[in-house]
Amino acid sequence: MQKPRILKALSLLAAFALTLVLLAACSGGNNDPEGNGAGTNGAQSAGGDGAKGSGGGAKSGGGAGGKTEQVTVKFANFSGSGDPAPLLEQMRETFEAQNPDVKVEIETIGFGDYFTQMQTRVASGTAPDAYELNYENFVSYAKKGVLLDLQPMFEAAGFDKSVLYEQALDAFQADGVQYGMPASFSNVVLIYNKDLFDQAQTSYPTIEWTWKEMNEAAVSIRALGDDIFGISQGVQFFEFFKAAQQNGGSLLNEDQTAFTINTPENVETLQYMVDRIQKSNVMPTEAQMSGIGDWDLFKAGRLGMILTGVWAFPDFVQNVEFPWDIAVEPGNVQKATHFFSNGLVINKDSKVAEAAYRWIAFMSASKEAAQIRVDGNWELPAVTYPDVLEAYLAITPPDNRQAVFDSLEYLVTPPVIEQFAEMNDTLTLHLAAAAQGAKTPQQALDDAQQELTAKIKLE
Amino acid sequence: MTGTMKWSKRLTIFLFLLPSCAGLLVFSIIPIFYSFVISLTDWNGLNAWDAAAGVPAFRGMGNYAEILSGAEFWRVLRNTFYYIVLYIPLILIFSIAAAVLLNNAFRGMGVYRVLFFIPVLTSWVAGSLIWKWLLSAEYGPVNELLSFVGIQGPAWLQDPTWAMPGIVMASIWKDMGFFSLIMLGGLQGINPNYYEAAQIDGASFWRRFTAITLPLLSPVLFFVMIICVINSFQLFPQVMIMTTDAGPFGATQAMVERIYKYAFKYYKMGYASSFSWILFVIIFVFTVVQFRLQKKWVHYDG
Amino acid sequence: MTGSRYMWRALSFYVFASILALFALVPFFWMISTSLKSKGALFIIPIQWLPEQVSFEGYTKIFTLFPFARAIFNSAFVSVASTSITLLSALMAAYVFAKLEFKGREVLFALFLATMMVPGQVTTIPVFLVLKNLGLVNSFTGLLLPSIFNPFAIFMLRQFMKTVHSDFMDAAFMDGASHAGVFRRIMLPLSMPIIATLAVITFMGVWNDYFWPLVILSDREKMTLPLALSQLSGQYANEYNTLMAGSLISMAPIILMYIFAQRYFKSGLQLGGIK
Repeated sequence: MQKPRILKALSLLAAFALTLVLLAACSGGNNDPEGNGAGTNGAQSAGGDGAKGSGGGAKSGGGAGGKTEQVTVKFANFSGSGDPAPLLEQMRETFEAQNPDVKVEIETIGFGDYFTQMQTRVASGTAPDAYELNYENFVSYAKKGVLLDLQPMFEAAGFDKSVLYEQALDAFQADGVQYGMPASFSNVVLIYNKDLFDQAQTSYPTIEWTWKEMNEAAVSIRALGDDIFGISQGVQFFEFFKAAQQNGGSLLNEDQTAFTINTPENVETLQYMVDRIQKSNVMPTEAQMSGIGDWDLFKAGRLGMILTGVWAFPDFVQNVEFPWDIAVEPGNVQKATHFFSNGLVINKDSKVAEAAYRWIAFMSASKEAAQIRVDGNWELPAVTYPDVLEAYLAITPPDNRQAVFDSLEYLVTPPVIEQFAEMNDTLTLHLAAAAQGAKTPQQALDDAQQELTAKIKLE
Repeated sequence: MTGTMKWSKRLTIFLFLLPSCAGLLVFSIIPIFYSFVISLTDWNGLNAWDAAAGVPAFRGMGNYAEILSGAEFWRVLRNTFYYIVLYIPLILIFSIAAAVLLNNAFRGMGVYRVLFFIPVLTSWVAGSLIWKWLLSAEYGPVNELLSFVGIQGPAWLQDPTWAMPGIVMASIWKDMGFFSLIMLGGLQGINPNYYEAAQIDGASFWRRFTAITLPLLSPVLFFVMIICVINSFQLFPQVMIMTTDAGPFGATQAMVERIYKYAFKYYKMGYASSFSWILFVIIFVFTVVQFRLQKKWVHYDG
Repeated sequence: MTGSRYMWRALSFYVFASILALFALVPFFWMISTSLKSKGALFIIPIQWLPEQVSFEGYTKIFTLFPFARAIFNSAFVSVASTSITLLSALMAAYVFAKLEFKGREVLFALFLATMMVPGQVTTIPVFLVLKNLGLVNSFTGLLLPSIFNPFAIFMLRQFMKTVHSDFMDAAFMDGASHAGVFRRIMLPLSMPIIATLAVITFMGVWNDYFWPLVILSDREKMTLPLALSQLSGQYANEYNTLMAGSLISMAPIILMYIFAQRYFKSGLQLGGIK
């Protein structure tokens, strides 16, 4: 006689669930549907927690009974996912100790889906007060007018801009308006395997190197063995954009009104990148890579040089067993190096903008936050405090950490256009066709020029 | 008597359908209507709507025209058909085979049922990592096996022709347990008397399979076919994870992959909505055709 | 049936079943082995089938990084609640679509099916806006409410219920049973195998669902397992050992549930006592 039992169990469960749900709805009712922070008192979030019993963080234990004037800043980010989580927590604690009237609620989302979720929230008016954006998405958000202009905040707080790297701060301007502050920055350097250089009896890279020396070294390392490769550099938007600059080319004309993808300089650049794969094969083909990443190839000791970001350091320090070092990336007619930065922005409609500003300014520009980043080996703070930077330089490997800062001399930033992500993907698709030998570089860039001109609106 | 029956029947219909229909309205019809309105605009998915300020701008059928006249749509459609043509027959064969195997009473049956189901539970992240390696040109066991029979395997996921078959293989692996579980549910519902009768008549395995199992399973098969076609058109996570940026020359670009990118990466919500309405029409036509054809082969009320 | 014929059948069964099982298991095995590797040993070529050194780094990390136990509890609650709501609502609707004729039934059913064909990605924002207007964003109610409508479940149950012979029902109606009575006494017990199947599928779907909770929940305390796990994937590199450890832990409850549900796969006609 199991039939009624099942039905009864199901109905009971459903009824139970519905009751719980309704309870949660009632007690969560003071969660203002209009969005964040309208209530601005700590009780708002505490009320939400209360419905489910135990509060979350150490601070919210007492529930609603906080100090009268406390405001809550909701902050969403992706770079605190995984290892750096405790570091972010440490920043929050330091900040809250300095600003007893502000409570920061941190929400960390994995990078893969962060932007999907932020978009849903921004579109529906439930975005957090402050959040993190990477450069690509920053441009789209800024151009669409959903971010707060920080200039008045700077003025009111008397913010000293010189504590931040100028280029890093400028990167978060759009149409001359400062919409964000750099949380951290990173750039790309040449990382090399000293053992392989020794075996090939080639001298180590220096700041004087150009494409020519780099190529020669790659060839002699490739000669060491069938499954040992000289160099790896992605054939994708960012690498191509930079290499083009090294060769005196660019993707857009001076005033950013038209694409200049298939100029002779650019074709030559792509030819050089493709030849390394298809002709001299100092760089592995896709088939030779067989789905392993180039970091793994390097870590396995099978790659002489790799052009990659300083964000590889924590991983390489932990997992590389041979001696390695870094150098400033070689250029051709001129040097050009990458600059990447994640920015912190404030929601235009935030009711607690001032407190939110204090929080992002703390994360971006304070010595305390910078020190936490350096100590925790968590990307590079974009600050100019000499003692913090010295502490950063003192960490080895790599011995030549100075190259990270030397590279800043030559940095180039990608064009600030609204359809950045689409431009990136479209060009990468055509570059890949050339890299695999399906099209000549000239063909690939002609096609790219045509498609980009048709698809992307430049103002 | 009939009057009261009718009244009680009406009440039953009303009450039984009430929860689903309420859900249908609130969580499906309204949002779908919403998305149709969006598809007529150039909304970027970020800005608040403000009709007075012309945000977003009304484009009429402009998005639809742009999609249908571009090369991308047709390329993506071709990729999707390529997937369907390979996937549907294979998944049907594999999952029927697995279900028939599992519908036995041998020892250790339960263990096999769990084992077959494990890929369904494995996340695509883990599944795709291992498949990338299985299909790798240089180190992969698939090509190793092929070389035993003297075939030089392709570079699978890096090769524009073979990337999609690679995705199909991984999808079969992942979905087989799911569909065989559904078919097993159907097999278990077949009255054992039929088999006993056939046994007495001395019918062969194949004869029993074609004369009893397939016809009686046909409603479930029909269900699986419909779901498979819909799922194939909505092919998404495996493409996103196995071939970053949609594979060599966009060879694994699929409808929903494009829709996702346009909506959440390129900030063209209006365009993405139009794309999904076109996809909806395609799936709808296919499903209607299948429903028309079902009279020819699906037997209810066995 | 002769003994040797039985032997042959058994043998061929085991051979085929084992081949398929192997096909299914290889990646799973690799997951286990990866979860036991240290971070450094992840990508050594050729692939390491067994970790040279067993490390529980991944497992300890999961429990220290975020409130994992809390996430497991949330996931369990959400999955059980959501599955119950879906099953109850879908069973009722499927009964009507399978056995109760009324005007416009097929059109309504077609409408149900049609909604399955709209890709979820584009309706996400509109559904979110609807829930926001109802004041249900960032609440379990908002998360669970949409499970009241599940066309997949209705379709699957309807397909099965259609195969149930009307004779069974007519006999009950003769005895004066109401539709609710027939539904409970005849249809439900006969549908047990398919209900068990559907329960497993629905539970699994909710348990693994990532996108919807991601969009609707923002409180750390309400986080479900997949949301917690996604915090492990970074911008530049994923920590696969931790990721696999987390995935394995989150798979375990569904495997247990599946094993439990197996005993229902066999009921229905065989046990229902009605032939």
